[in-house]
Amino acid sequence: MPNESPQVANERPPVEGISDPAWIRIRDLIYHVSGIFQAENKFYFLVSRCQVRMKAVGARTPREYLDFLTALPSRDAEMRNLLNEITIGETCLFRSLPQIDALRKIVIPSLAEAKKKSSYTKLRFWSAGCSTGEESYTLAMILLEETQTRLKDWTFEVMATDLNERSVAKAREGIYNDYAVRNVPPEFMRKYFTQTESNFRVADSVRPFVTFTRLNMLDDSKMLFMRGIDAIFCCNVLIYFDGKSKTRTVHHFYNALLANGYFFLGPSESLYGITEKFHLVHFPGSTAYWKPGDSLSKAGAA
Amino acid sequence: MRTGTLDRLHARITSIDAMPTIPVILRPLLHCLDQPAEQIDVDRIVELVSYDKTIAAQCVRMANSALFGRSQPVESVRTAVMNLGMWRVRDLLFSNSLSQVIPAHRWIVAPTVFWRHSLGVALVCRKFAEILEYPDTEKAYLAGLLHDIGILVNSMVAPDEFRATFQKATREQIPLDEAEQSTLGFTHSDSGRVLAEAWKITPDLVQAVELHHEIGDPERGGPLVAIVHLSDLLCRLRDMGYGYYEPRQIDFANEPGWLYLVMHFPNLAGLDLARFTFMLDEYAKEVGELVSTVFAPR
Repeated sequence: MPNESPQVANERPPVEGISDPAWIRIRDLIYHVSGIFQAENKFYFLVSRCQVRMKAVGARTPREYLDFLTALPSRDAEMRNLLNEITIGETCLFRSLPQIDALRKIVIPSLAEAKKKSSYTKLRFWSAGCSTGEESYTLAMILLEETQTRLKDWTFEVMATDLNERSVAKAREGIYNDYAVRNVPPEFMRKYFTQTESNFRVADSVRPFVTFTRLNMLDDSKMLFMRGIDAIFCCNVLIYFDGKSKTRTVHHFYNALLANGYFFLGPSESLYGITEKFHLVHFPGSTAYWKPGDSLSKAGAA
Repeated sequence: MRTGTLDRLHARITSIDAMPTIPVILRPLLHCLDQPAEQIDVDRIVELVSYDKTIAAQCVRMANSALFGRSQPVESVRTAVMNLGMWRVRDLLFSNSLSQVIPAHRWIVAPTVFWRHSLGVALVCRKFAEILEYPDTEKAYLAGLLHDIGILVNSMVAPDEFRATFQKATREQIPLDEAEQSTLGFTHSDSGRVLAEAWKITPDLVQAVELHHEIGDPERGGPLVAIVHLSDLLCRLRDMGYGYYEPRQIDFANEPGWLYLVMHFPNLAGLDLARFTFMLDEYAKEVGELVSTVFAPR
């Protein structure tokens, strides 16, 4: 039924409404549960996400919604719903072409060269905060392409994780609209997608190489199991973390990586002030953080 | 470079009478700018701009370009100069006057590519110098601007060989100086030095031209060479290079030039290099605008 009631008009609270202490409490609660922290300049984002959920559950004020987030029996489910809403992000396949060039022309050859010495011919990539799988499938397609040409006899796997259960489910489906595939080069389009009526489905030849799992990066016990990785991709995920959670997560990433491994952030994210263990390395048009081999690591670095 | 090769190069450059001559405007300009920024004589710069109708027109065109988004059209050279600021006017003056060094048909590296790189390096050199609190930021700028003049020399004195060399570098995606060394036996740093000396440019700038690829012993060239070396690398990695892909990974914090600068300028240790790099993309945009103004069809 169309609803023209004043509640609809009030959906977007006036600016002073943002300073409602209930919003602060919701923000702190989200932080406590997930480590995702919305700084003041991101507050409008938090409020708009909460409003989507408030409408869904019928909460009229942030105070009422806070009850949904704290009182049994709804709290766990609702917190997950809210986190889903917060972490849902717009992304596309082959999003950063300079990064893809760097991967194909510099990073993968360099990883292979370093690993060849140990005669271990498998590459393991981790797409951390994979959202709906665009980056994960992009990586798999690139690795598939490389292992069919320059890196014959090599195998690989892409581990893709995300906090958001709904994203993980969608990632597993591997079906994208034409907007999400707009950057995919035609030869990749032909080889690695099948067109359905209105969408594009990731080909079966790619799927076995990618595993999607739900993972909270702040869950230390789970993060400890991530080891032996060659390259980690964590794009626009840490930006929501506060300093402490970021440091902790990056520390886990560092330990998960093999020596000479790479850590890629979003195109305008920096680890400055978080850790000095990684070396910032430059490629044409992109950067990454590199974990030095034992001889090159900085003694006593934080 | 070995002395013998340098002698032969010198003989070759002077004997074939193809040595580019210093542009008329360049010496007074260098003189005018070779002093602290606050002492630069604006009237003198306006005068120099007005000498050359092409440059004057470009200043006006640039002041009216989208980059500056003026509500009122700029018509006089003086207003254009004031609106653009000394830095951009100087960029225009230099790129124009240096462009006259070789005839249009003799360019081997496309002029837009060459200037995008040279002006980009100049800009980054100045930013670096500011961060370091290096006492002469304008000198750093000039060093960046002039560092590759050897490319002009090579285009003049050995056009066929240099064309083949540049094609080889592009095709094999290798650094230009590496390709030059293997095919010509000398690099644009070597030939640039010969030209810089002939032009009687100050010795520290000559060194920056000569040593910007050979940073083996940073003590030899001092901070200016290290600044140019690092800025050149950064520009080549941020879309202000020689126009071809160079598949390389640079760990700046472990580059000899960087380590040398950190030792002498503690400010550098605190630089957020990632952020500095993101900022370069903004410069690339500005330099692109400037180059398209200078080389726009007239």
